[in-house]
Amino acid sequence: MSNFFSLIYNEIAKIYIQKSTWIMYLLLGVIILGLGILANTYGDLNDGYEADTWRETLQEENEELTNEMEEEPFLQDFNLSSIEMNNYYLENDIQPAGYGAWQFVMENEMLLSIVSLLTIIVAAGIVANEFRWGTIKLLLIRPISREKILASKYGAVLLFSLFTLLFVLLLSWVVGALLFGVEGINPHIVMEKNTGFEYVSVINEIITGYGFQLVTLLMMATFAFMISTVFRNSALAIGTAIFFMMVGNQIVFFFMERSWAKYILFANTDLSLYFNGNTPWIEGMTLGFSITVLLIYYVLFLMLSWIFFTKRDVAGH
Amino acid sequence: MSETAMELIDVKKRIGKKEIIKGLSFTINKGEVFGLIGPNGAGKTTTIRMMVGLMQLSEGDVTILGKSIKSDYIEAVREVGAIVENPEMYPFMTGIQNLNHYARMIPEVSKQRIQEVISLVGLEKAAKEKVGRYSLGMRQRLGIAQALLHNPSVLILDEPTNGLDPAGIREIRMYIRRLAVEKNVAVIISSHLLSEIELICDRIGVIKNGELVAIQQVNEKTDIEKLKQVQMEVTPMNEAMELLQTHHGITAMETDGKLHFQSEKEKIPAMIRTLVEYNISIYQLEIAKSSLEDKFFNLIGENTIE
Ligand SMILES: Nc1ncnc2c1ncn2[C@@H]1O[C@H](COP(=O)(O)OP(=O)(O)OP(=O)(O)O)[C@@H](O)[C@H]1O
Ligand SMILES: [Mg+2]
Repeated sequence: MSNFFSLIYNEIAKIYIQKSTWIMYLLLGVIILGLGILANTYGDLNDGYEADTWRETLQEENEELTNEMEEEPFLQDFNLSSIEMNNYYLENDIQPAGYGAWQFVMENEMLLSIVSLLTIIVAAGIVANEFRWGTIKLLLIRPISREKILASKYGAVLLFSLFTLLFVLLLSWVVGALLFGVEGINPHIVMEKNTGFEYVSVINEIITGYGFQLVTLLMMATFAFMISTVFRNSALAIGTAIFFMMVGNQIVFFFMERSWAKYILFANTDLSLYFNGNTPWIEGMTLGFSITVLLIYYVLFLMLSWIFFTKRDVAGH
Repeated sequence: MSETAMELIDVKKRIGKKEIIKGLSFTINKGEVFGLIGPNGAGKTTTIRMMVGLMQLSEGDVTILGKSIKSDYIEAVREVGAIVENPEMYPFMTGIQNLNHYARMIPEVSKQRIQEVISLVGLEKAAKEKVGRYSLGMRQRLGIAQALLHNPSVLILDEPTNGLDPAGIREIRMYIRRLAVEKNVAVIISSHLLSEIELICDRIGVIKNGELVAIQQVNEKTDIEKLKQVQMEVTPMNEAMELLQTHHGITAMETDGKLHFQSEKEKIPAMIRTLVEYNISIYQLEIAKSSLEDKFFNLIGENTIE
């Protein structure tokens, strides 16, 4: 097993020794900082409420919002929901928490699609690049089975995405803390859900928000890995994986009427539908069904990678 | 001494409908340097790829220290160090990082051993530089270092002298001989230049169009093969021809204004002495080719690429 650990170490080292990886991280850092500065400058963020005056403050806010609404009718929808939210706080006698690092992290959920993107790029290159560089020959003539080498590469992809995810969470939190302060260890806020307003833990929201997106990340990274191994071409793998990630939902829309539409991968990647009371894409789909379909795709991708990597000759280009 | 290190048993390779390797069988002994020569496209690299398990055999088997590359791959390849075609390494890593990378894939390669192979191939100065900046010869040396890391019993080098300067070729040649003699390593070297490997090999196998056309023991040259092709530019030509015939029993031919004949190398000084004695002017004398080379050229024939 220590042997396998060295293999993973090698693969991770090869990812992080390349400048392009650090450039990706640098970009990610700039984006997070930019989002923070943007929210700090243009966001209408409360700095928290005093324990003895928060009720009055909320009522004042509501009045302001009502006035604003009368002057600018297009703000109606937005302001109404703000007012309702404030009322929920008042009715339930909950003092609202101020905006801080945790909420900043929560709102940056979409950064996970950038993590997916980077993971796809790494997954697309990890096998194909060895062929492009010609290093695959010296890599494979070791007393190690091809299965093990492939597994170490896949493991390295997963670790890379984990590290990148942690980097995003940590940096978001730090940037949030520096710009907005920390609103407590486990702050709760009121959020508007399908079923109405709810008083929820921000950390829970972060976990579920990011967590549901991890399904897409894992599936698309595995898809890119498969294309990379089968076609030995990283550009093709990046291209197809990103293409499908972007148009996945449209594909499902397009074939919605067909009986087989529910077997399309992208009809099943958003598992949050089953938890927040939304209707699934197609009638009759259940959580169990989606998980089964996902598993079948996942195993298929890995099987194809495995067969092509272990069985095919390493000949000239 | 004559223990078998590697054996090829009727190895065949088909790609599509084309048979690239048409049944190779030979053995290589421990402590022996075996040369595999043949023209471009003969199938040397393909054979080597099969020896190390990069390509599957269509038929036949390769055994390394008795272990089959087909059924016992990991144990078989454990004994092998190799360069296959160009020695490509990770360009964004330094020489030493590349070696560390491969060392981690094999149990029991010490840091000390890595330093050892680096100094062996003379890369001490360049070891900390990125391989992307290496010259072809430096990469070739790093490739050899990589192949030697784990003290393999069988060393397979596909055109190892490609890109090396003359001093480099000599160093590697000497090192390969030492490996064979002192460490009892079996070495397989491919090349398309006979002159390059004639000097290090104990035995040479000639491969052409995927077939083994001859195996030649290098140090057992027959008398005929000891003869050299000699060219001589002299005046007057007729007189010189007569002198060679009468004094040395040599029949020379005249082509392109030069005398051509065959002779053992040792007899040439005496001939020159005779010619000088009789006031023949010698402008040039050239030993063109060894007959061994001639023989191989005849075997291989024109370089036909199928
Ligand atoms: N992947 C492949 N598909 C089809 N034919 C191939 C493949 N690889 C090699 N060949 C053919 O096999 C033959 C042998 O090629 P190989 O590379 O083994 O030659 P070689 O002896 O190493 O030549 P060189 O001296 O040029 O290195 C060639 O005719 C080549 O066209
Ligand atoms: Mg070759």
